[in-house]
Amino acid sequence: MQNLRRLSQGIFLLIFLFLFVQTESKGNDALGYPVKIFLDFDPLILTTTLLSAHAAAKAFYLSIALIVVTLLLGRVFCGWACPLGTLNNLMGALKKARPGEKTRNWRRAKYYVLIFVLVSSSFTLQLVGIMDPLSLLIRSLSLSIYPLFNYGVRAFFDALYDLNIQGLVDMSESLYSLLKKSVLSFQQPLYKQSVFIGFLFFGIMALNLLERRFWCRYLCPLGALLGILSRYSLLKRTVSEGCNSCGACAPVCQGNASPDRKEEWRDAECFYCWNCDDVCPQNAVSFGFTQRKVTAAMDLGRRRVITSALSGLVAVPLLKSIPLSKSGFSDPALIRPPGSLEEKEFLKRCVKCGECMKVCITNGLQPTLLEAGLEGIWSPVLVPRMGYCEYRCTLCGQVCPTGAIKKLDLKEKMKVKIGLAMIDKGRCLPYAHATPCIVCEEVCPTPKKAIWFEEARVKDREGKEKVMKQPRVDLELCIGCGICETDCPVVGQPAIYVISVGESRSKENQILLQ
Amino acid sequence: MDRREFLKFTAIAGLGLSVTGTDRFFSSAEASDKIDLAVAHGASPSMITRAAIDAVGGMKKFVSKGDIVVVKPNIAFDRLPEHAATTNPEVVTVVVQMCYEAGAKKVKVFDRTVNDARRCYVQSGIADAAKAAGADVSYIDERKFKEININGGALKSWPLYTEVLEADKVINIPIAKHHSLAGLTMAMKNWMGVMGGRRNSVHQRLDESLVDLALVIKPALTVLDAVRILTANGPQGGDLKDVKKLDTVIAGIDQVAVDSYGATLFGMKGSDLGYVRLGDKMGLGVMDLSKLKIKKINV
Repeated sequence: MQNLRRLSQGIFLLIFLFLFVQTESKGNDALGYPVKIFLDFDPLILTTTLLSAHAAAKAFYLSIALIVVTLLLGRVFCGWACPLGTLNNLMGALKKARPGEKTRNWRRAKYYVLIFVLVSSSFTLQLVGIMDPLSLLIRSLSLSIYPLFNYGVRAFFDALYDLNIQGLVDMSESLYSLLKKSVLSFQQPLYKQSVFIGFLFFGIMALNLLERRFWCRYLCPLGALLGILSRYSLLKRTVSEGCNSCGACAPVCQGNASPDRKEEWRDAECFYCWNCDDVCPQNAVSFGFTQRKVTAAMDLGRRRVITSALSGLVAVPLLKSIPLSKSGFSDPALIRPPGSLEEKEFLKRCVKCGECMKVCITNGLQPTLLEAGLEGIWSPVLVPRMGYCEYRCTLCGQVCPTGAIKKLDLKEKMKVKIGLAMIDKGRCLPYAHATPCIVCEEVCPTPKKAIWFEEARVKDREGKEKVMKQPRVDLELCIGCGICETDCPVVGQPAIYVISVGESRSKENQILLQ
Repeated sequence: MDRREFLKFTAIAGLGLSVTGTDRFFSSAEASDKIDLAVAHGASPSMITRAAIDAVGGMKKFVSKGDIVVVKPNIAFDRLPEHAATTNPEVVTVVVQMCYEAGAKKVKVFDRTVNDARRCYVQSGIADAAKAAGADVSYIDERKFKEININGGALKSWPLYTEVLEADKVINIPIAKHHSLAGLTMAMKNWMGVMGGRRNSVHQRLDESLVDLALVIKPALTVLDAVRILTANGPQGGDLKDVKKLDTVIAGIDQVAVDSYGATLFGMKGSDLGYVRLGDKMGLGVMDLSKLKIKKINV
């Protein structure tokens, strides 16, 4: 069974990684692959989104499928499919098994996390993405691990290229172009907080050295949800009379489900990895469909359940009573992707998976830290100095798993304003330095350009008169895509910059009379 | 004979001919030699492209057997062919085909785009068109820019794309468009697409920079796509009302002359464009259309 399970884990991990790598533009309007399908299968995201936003993703039936599978077969997702689980599994292999080592009794912690996110999402606070394993994995890979991988590979091949040794370079370059076509990204992705997010991810991986599958056993809220469902599953473990309590099954149990305690076996903790069956010298363990309840109680403790529920409740006003909730006040730097719902609705849905940032064609979408409050940590924000919003691109809306960013068709997208450009006359070359420059106007993508010129006669230091084309922004036409800021030759602090004011999704964040 | 000598020679020869009026002394092949600009007009972009190139001497005159040729269209923006912001894909196809017919070993097509390169290559239709004609279509590789001494009026040195500098022949196939600073962007400005580095600062002295660029990049042939031209809101456009269908392709060796003629498509004169005036003054080419032998063809 072990090999079969490993095969399944391998296949799911490969599918996951394949879809992850495919979450990238090839120049067409659509991606061609269902890159967010793993998130569509996630019943925890479905549940919290239903609770917080009273809405479900279009493909929500896929997560119903996972619920049905769990009710039939138990937590097989954790043991056989979850890509983060598989990575934890692999990392755990690095831990040296010491005989007689005791496992922790922290299994309840993940249920408290689950209760916390369920209660807080019931009161509109959507924090699930921080710890949902799929969201966490996609975010960590997108914003940190994949950029790291790309950087490393590129640096390696660049170094070979610079060596300029005939023959070697030909070989390395053909290998490099093969990698570019398959696993590397089109351009080196760079994200804010990549180090921080990477540390968290490596931390989770490192926990496996403390105890194998630490995350899955003690922290994962999706594991907790599936665990609860698993208690009602039809597939159960039974131990026959032949068991002589040798204890061989305990150290190989992936879920720390107390397999050696026969009747006290914890079904909610079991990943159905079959290790206990495989390893049993008496062949006394078997899995089969049964109605018989032979398992230990969950024993979460009433007080602790209440405490975690209360924390979830208190977290709502704690995280929401910040200046951003003041009517009409918004962070000018918080430029949301096109198609984003109004901020409150947006936050109810965004699960911080980072798919939109991964797919953003210019690398302009970046994770927030506190711009949207702690509640909105790692949600997407456009940073035009990093990259602009490509006028005819709709990819971020296509990959959003919860509809926080609406899927727009191209015609709608080209009309959506995500902000407005403002000119800093003190820095702009034709205004401040009598030097010609029209770059912002040249790259402005609206069919009738939102940037236009006023011709002004100015004098240079010698008193010589010059005619300068000074750029002005037509606030009616500007969509805030930010390409002017990205390409502004005034490096550092740009002479033209975009702020979120004027964004279509907000009634209050406006300047013009409407 | 370098190009400048050649131009001088043809100019003098042309002058001599017009004085004596003895066209019939020359065979037809030699007659096409002295055509400075061919302006082909017709409904089929591929046929007029072919006719224009044939009229200035045929591709064999510019591309030799075994040559590695760079064909440089304008792929700068994420626009569709009908927006007239990027070179017509049919024009690209024919030029690539004709290079191979003339015996080219390899034809390379690339551009350093302004919008996302993937979208520009795909949406413009150029990547598919060039690949179908057998070209090697590649994205710009930042490692292949090399700092080149130019010693021009504005550009002392600049990182330029080595594949252009190392090619046996270079063919420029720009599209004719409005541009708020340059006036129009056509042949000479198309070479900004092989500049690396901070090219957004070039606009501070644009005309001089374009002429400086022409000092180091010497195309064997320039084919100006005016099948559709963009008359306003360039160089990116987006509104079909700004697009004018002219069904015209212009071929020539002298980029200054091509741009000077191109200006007339917009109701302007070559002398209205600073870089054309400067290019003429620097002896890079001829601005005055009355000094050029222009052949108009209807296909």
